[in-house]
Amino acid sequence: MKLKPFLLKVTFLLLVTSQFSCTEIDSNEPGALVPKTVDQDATLPSISVNGTMLHSETFGNPSNSMVVFLHGGPGADYRSGLNVKQLADNGYFVVFYDQRGAGLSKRHDKNSYSLQLILDDLNAVIEHYKTAPNQKVFLFGHSWGGMLATAFINKNPNKITGAILAEAGGLKWGETKEYLEKTKKIELFSEATNDVLYLDQFLTGTKKQHEVLDYKSAIQSSFSYAGGNVEGIEASSPFWRYGAVSLISLTEVAEKDNFDFTTNLNQFQKKVLILFSENNKAFGSSYAQKQANYFPVHQIIRIDDTGHEMIYFKWNSVYPKVLTYLNSL
Amino acid sequence: MKSNFYISLIFLIATNSFSQNINWRSLKNEQKHIISLNIGLLYGTTIDLGYGHKLNTKLPMILNAEFSTSFGDTALDDFKTKIGAQAEVLKIGGFSTTLKAYGVFRRFENDNAQLLNFGSELSAVSGYYKSKWYVAGEFGFDKAIVTHIKHSDVLKNYYPGIKSGWYIPTAGNFFYGVQSGFSLGRNDLNLRAGTMATQDFKSTPTLPFYFQIGINRKI
Repeated sequence: MKLKPFLLKVTFLLLVTSQFSCTEIDSNEPGALVPKTVDQDATLPSISVNGTMLHSETFGNPSNSMVVFLHGGPGADYRSGLNVKQLADNGYFVVFYDQRGAGLSKRHDKNSYSLQLILDDLNAVIEHYKTAPNQKVFLFGHSWGGMLATAFINKNPNKITGAILAEAGGLKWGETKEYLEKTKKIELFSEATNDVLYLDQFLTGTKKQHEVLDYKSAIQSSFSYAGGNVEGIEASSPFWRYGAVSLISLTEVAEKDNFDFTTNLNQFQKKVLILFSENNKAFGSSYAQKQANYFPVHQIIRIDDTGHEMIYFKWNSVYPKVLTYLNSL
Repeated sequence: MKSNFYISLIFLIATNSFSQNINWRSLKNEQKHIISLNIGLLYGTTIDLGYGHKLNTKLPMILNAEFSTSFGDTALDDFKTKIGAQAEVLKIGGFSTTLKAYGVFRRFENDNAQLLNFGSELSAVSGYYKSKWYVAGEFGFDKAIVTHIKHSDVLKNYYPGIKSGWYIPTAGNFFYGVQSGFSLGRNDLNLRAGTMATQDFKSTPTLPFYFQIGINRKI
């Protein structure tokens, strides 16, 4: 066999097979690793408010009392909170939206975030959907969403009819920091910790490479429900997209601002419902009581046999408590 | 348990294992084989086994093969292999500079995805070396060139449009720090520590530093 024709054949074969076996995907390609956002996919339900586009859906009669669901994170989305739409069957107008930079809402640069901006977004969402000046408005916040609800009430005590806080991480930065230290504890020899750390040699992205960072957060989300997790989370719960830049930015902002969402809560005279789960070891009844004490009128309810993701995994237990509370106001 | 397995492994082979940070001045002509064991923090808590073969070349050179894996409940779901070489390219008195180049293959798996990566690691180590000890600085770049991502059924269920396949580019991290070692006969004790930064130098890995302790056995 002559060498030159043989090499040509091998080269040709390699070129052909490489086209079929190894088509490379750009990790920054929209929609490849994480779903497209509302500015990239016009078929998604959205609203344009406060200089951004938010992924948003509503259920129920718009003239009914409004319940605005605030998801956790920051950076997560409302997909695992969709059980709350059942309240529409009970005469409530249920509003969902993915917060700025989170879920399917439009992404923004890391330096553009502030707590005030996120509060302004919430105010804009309420105003967007409000059909009458005297329409009742309830906030239903889970985790970070509970913190956001409290921050809004602290600034606007007369705008809100009532609030349900499901394990808000902390109402002051110091408390939030303590909660995070309990829940994000690094255990050097654990599978969950090493899975988070080990991934950094496979995927890195600049603060502008949102898709890569979002996907990385999605992979790392298994840390939160790993076996023996402190928050008692049973398993993975559905999500669209973790907004990594939103999470990083708002965490940095929260630390820098050293926030305190409790300074004006004594002006809020409506009853607040505090929910906590039986299996979240980082929360518990004493922490629930501590948060409740910031509100002049409050009620505390424990949801049994579940953890931090009680709205997804134990909605059948959460739902009657929430409905009774809402109907009482 | 994976961790119990590794702890047992360390005790079993500690007296006969070694590290791949080379003190050229302590390496004798007849010593051709270097076996190493490192344990420490490098993208997680990891253990690293290595083998080096010294070549009979004018330029002092060692071919290396290394295998490392992270601790956890699932054995060998996350690992990294390196094959390459290091050469002492400069020697002035006690001062010496070594260049290292490796091809890298690594694997990651958890509930959400399985990643297979081909990459490279290039580094330079420069310092002062005596027959019994050395101290040096190191600077290197660890590049994940192309990564095959296979998403789990969970992620595919959440987002049916997600694409499995070869992704490019994926990652790159710089590392820089110090290393030091002490030689006792055929054995060397080595320490290595430093910090890391992503390739744009604007952020860091979640674990922004590394620390390794290891031993070499020269045969």
